[in-house]
Amino acid sequence: MTLQSLPSGFETLAPFVETWAATTTVARARRRTDSTPTERQAFFEAAAPLLEPAMAYLDARRLADLDAGERQLLNLMMSLSHVQMAVEIHREMEPQHAAFREAMAITRSATDFG
Amino acid sequence: MNAEANAVFRPPVDQTAWLGTDLIPAKAYYDPDHFELERKAIFMRSWIQIGHVCELPGPGSFIRRELEFAEASILIVRGKNDVIRAFHNACTHRATQLVSEEQGSTNAFICPYHMWNFGLDGQLRSAPEFENFFSSKKDCALKQVAVDICGGLIFLNLDPSPAQPLREFLGEHLVDRLEMAPCAKATAFSEYVYEIDANWKLDYDNFQESTHLRFIHPRTGAPSFIAENPFGHPESYGFHGPHRTQTFWPKVDMGTTSPMQRTLLEAGLKFAMEKGLIPNPTNREYYALFPNFFLLGSPSQHFSHTVYPLTARRSRGVVRLYWIGEAQSASEMLAREYAFLVARDIHSEDVGVIRAGQRGLNSGALEHIQFQLMESLCRHLYLVSNDLIEKYKDEQAAERERAQ
Repeated sequence: MTLQSLPSGFETLAPFVETWAATTTVARARRRTDSTPTERQAFFEAAAPLLEPAMAYLDARRLADLDAGERQLLNLMMSLSHVQMAVEIHREMEPQHAAFREAMAITRSATDFG
Repeated sequence: MNAEANAVFRPPVDQTAWLGTDLIPAKAYYDPDHFELERKAIFMRSWIQIGHVCELPGPGSFIRRELEFAEASILIVRGKNDVIRAFHNACTHRATQLVSEEQGSTNAFICPYHMWNFGLDGQLRSAPEFENFFSSKKDCALKQVAVDICGGLIFLNLDPSPAQPLREFLGEHLVDRLEMAPCAKATAFSEYVYEIDANWKLDYDNFQESTHLRFIHPRTGAPSFIAENPFGHPESYGFHGPHRTQTFWPKVDMGTTSPMQRTLLEAGLKFAMEKGLIPNPTNREYYALFPNFFLLGSPSQHFSHTVYPLTARRSRGVVRLYWIGEAQSASEMLAREYAFLVARDIHSEDVGVIRAGQRGLNSGALEHIQFQLMESLCRHLYLVSNDLIEKYKDEQAAERERAQ
């Protein structure tokens, strides 16, 4: 993952781009499953407070016109939505669910966004 | 039953009494001989959902679908005149499969073996040294399969002469509802596929009853468990010939989940509202189409699930979330991603207990299983399937008698 410059105000997410700004649903689901609880927690704590500002910033622009850094910001927020399920909902049950999710192969996504 | 006027859940006794109270033979869920009867009496002659018209966007678009229960590979093709046809993926020369791609766009299907060339209408157009064969071209067309569409959904019927056209099989009410459901207008979808060591009915039944929700989905299902309806049961059931419906309870309590989850889920509803999908008579409905398909009319999650039988004890499921148009904003993109991952997450919680159910059945130690009133949809599926098997056996007996 090449580091593009994230939009102003979201620079604190730069350390997470390489791992979490994945461009496909399959890759985002995979990062969630492959990550450690500590990695998920660190990303969640850094990104969660920025979810609403990030979406307000991105929604003010046409999706098709987003530049590379803005696209990375959207992909980070999509990864955050995966991590949210692990951190806030499944919590200590996440490893058990991860094993069952593996049996369900994502074969098509309408939200792949390179 | 109207939940708003009658806000505490009560079991739909009157709607379900006609189904009876018999124990259910466990064999129907593990026995290979029973499965073989189901295969012949049900799957080889019913309308089976296999795709959506958005997969065939223009003339020449095709998809290939494998139907293991028939050992058949089927090509579904949009022709030049926009007519959708289905053919067995087998060259009429020496049966070689024509297409290995899962989908694509083409002007012709050309057999890789001896270059027989078929048009999108299945007619043989050319074949090297055809003058040395002993047939006419018109007798060499691809073998056609019955195909029809309702609400954007593509159905096949492997019976060479289906007993009923698709719309008659579905009935007026369901045709009407499927055509107004958001899925009918879908242009794209997200999909996941799984195989599971479970009989197709056992797997499918998991999605036909709500009692397990609070035990298997205590966290992901939390918004549905409210004081007036602690199990998150549906408001009512409906029975339409071999098909069945549920109407979900109108109230959920989003206060039981995290603020972020609430925001992400509610975004989906906002976009559904903008697209004019709310209100819609299908919004709280679940449509189970016999034998192995169901669709949710939910405004923000146009969810479909088809369970294809592989063996008596193994099935393949295809789950899709359909979308209308391209996402118009970053938030709409995020809402779609989240709806899809949540569906897969919730479903993953079911896998373990479904497999455990099959393992419990396989020894044959239990002669019967049982369905309670709130498992009436499971009972209905068993009864309809069993009726068709009995009818099939009678037909076979009559045929044997005629042959003697």
